[in-house]
Amino acid sequence: MIVGIVIFAFGAITALLSLKMPIGTFRMAGTGMFPLSLGILLMILSGAFVLKGFFQGKKEQAKKEAPIESPESPIQMGLFLGSMVLAAAFFNLLGYPLTSFLLMVSLLKILGVKRWRVNIPLSLVTAVGSYFLFVKWLEIPLPKGWIGI
Amino acid sequence: MLESLQHLINGFGIAGTAQNLLYCLAGCIVGTLIGVLPGIGPIAGIALLIPATFSLNPTSAIIMLAGIYYGAMYGGSTTSILLNVPGETASVITCIDGYRMAQKGRAGPALAIVAIGSFIAGTIGLFGLVFLAPPLAEAALAFGPPEYFSLMVFGFIVLSNVTGKSLIKSLMMALIGLIIGTIGIDPVTGDARFAFGSTYLLGGIEFVAVAIGLFGIGEVLTNVNQPSEMLDQGVIMPRFRELYPSLQDLKKSMGSILRGTLSGFGIGLVPGPAPVIATYASYMIEKKISKHPEEFGQGAIEGVAGPESANNSACQSAFIPLFVLGIPFAPPTAILLGALLIHGVSPGPLLISQHPGLFWGVIASMYIGNFILLVLNLPFVPLFANILRIPKKILLPLVILFCITGMYTVNNSVSDIWVMLLFGALGFLMRKWAYEGAPLLLALVLGPRLEVAFRQSLMISHGDFGIFINRPISMVFLLATALFLIIPLIRMIFKKTSKEGG
Repeated sequence: MIVGIVIFAFGAITALLSLKMPIGTFRMAGTGMFPLSLGILLMILSGAFVLKGFFQGKKEQAKKEAPIESPESPIQMGLFLGSMVLAAAFFNLLGYPLTSFLLMVSLLKILGVKRWRVNIPLSLVTAVGSYFLFVKWLEIPLPKGWIGI
Repeated sequence: MLESLQHLINGFGIAGTAQNLLYCLAGCIVGTLIGVLPGIGPIAGIALLIPATFSLNPTSAIIMLAGIYYGAMYGGSTTSILLNVPGETASVITCIDGYRMAQKGRAGPALAIVAIGSFIAGTIGLFGLVFLAPPLAEAALAFGPPEYFSLMVFGFIVLSNVTGKSLIKSLMMALIGLIIGTIGIDPVTGDARFAFGSTYLLGGIEFVAVAIGLFGIGEVLTNVNQPSEMLDQGVIMPRFRELYPSLQDLKKSMGSILRGTLSGFGIGLVPGPAPVIATYASYMIEKKISKHPEEFGQGAIEGVAGPESANNSACQSAFIPLFVLGIPFAPPTAILLGALLIHGVSPGPLLISQHPGLFWGVIASMYIGNFILLVLNLPFVPLFANILRIPKKILLPLVILFCITGMYTVNNSVSDIWVMLLFGALGFLMRKWAYEGAPLLLALVLGPRLEVAFRQSLMISHGDFGIFINRPISMVFLLATALFLIIPLIRMIFKKTSKEGG
């Protein structure tokens, strides 16, 4: 039901922002008319969805939506996602080869490749391999960063 | 008809050049690998490899991307049979009897019948394409903005109806996709919309980022979230000499292959995730007409042959609406439409006459691709399946690195990576709460076209909505749309009353 409310809010924000644009007439629709209609439609649908969930009962809904998770999942997920966010944030600064190496080290570690003598060589081979594949062979201009390669 | 055959022969000339054959082969191999890999399906696979085709001419690029598409569909069947893990949704049905066959030591014949069935379906499908596409393109010339609008609405409703368990959830996803599609420049007036002063947003949301995020990153995150024991499943590896089906297997399968091909081809022409529906429909038909329906679910070869042929056939005929109308009805063809547009080719009724080399070259390459896949899959299946021996804890980081690299190469922009990560997180949450990504992606790709068709229609009619029902073709699509909306409602009411009564 919370998801339904979030979607309703998204529809409402869309409709409100669309109202700030020229709406025009049906004959000559303005920039805002199409997104306004979509926002209103989304509000109607998500409103119906929330009401349906409310009347069906919370318990039934929660039972239906329960995913299979392990107890350590949230921490693992957070670290995994965090590593990707950091990689994106430092992509230009560190450059492709270094970012890809560090990203591999951290993702492998998070997923359970804990021994450094396995993790480091594996990450190094992947980083060097992808560097030669993308930068040298396919000649894709990936960020060089401060190491300059 | 003769003219079409002549064009097809020219198409084989184009597809048969050493360069294009190489791209077709590369596409098929990469596609099969993608299909076998868990965590990356045909949609994310095609999206990821679009940048690799930037330096190619449009024909070679689409030949390679189409190769990836049907290669991935093949690869998906391999994991269904050997692992009971469908590589993509169209292979779910194959798990039922395919995996049972593998457990009984008949993985080889199951894999071989997939390859043979798909090849036969591909051959028949090719003739269907050759003879149906040109007259349909001519008929599509009668389509104006109201017809296109109604057809697209019909497509959304059908897709939302058949994907996922809840129509309302799928419709909400389609609407969110349409709203995201409005970000950028208004296609009619040229004014900025929801850009908030950002030059990046002014260019619109990159659909490749959304596709890789929702279908690639989202799937990886779902895997990361699972208990590690769920990731460690045994792989049944067939030996080379066990690969070939017996004469009796072939005899049993032939009817199923032909029926699957015909039903799949028809289903591919209508909006929706055609391969998924086609496989379900074929399985139901086979079970219904079988003299031994009790064998289904216990390893019946017909339960593999029929759906897999239908799958291949539907994939092929799904190219007809893409090429002829310029409207993709399913996410993989939507990604291919994006790729065509990037290469400066706008599909539609005039594609066949304006770019005959591209159209017929791609059609011929599909046939060559099918042949390549037959040759690749029969002897090399164990080799491909070996990829499944790589532990997921190594495979998933590799997929992530590939996604980030591939995403950056589309526009050389880190902003695209941010969008991809955002949609990756969204994709994960959507899977968690059973929301479908397909309607969102399709709506994002088709949104701008839908809006233009809607506004042009109203301009033509001076603001009169009657234009959508006064024109016969448009009215037919809208009536069909209404039917698709009403049927689930009636079914729901019927269910409720029978429950109350019982």
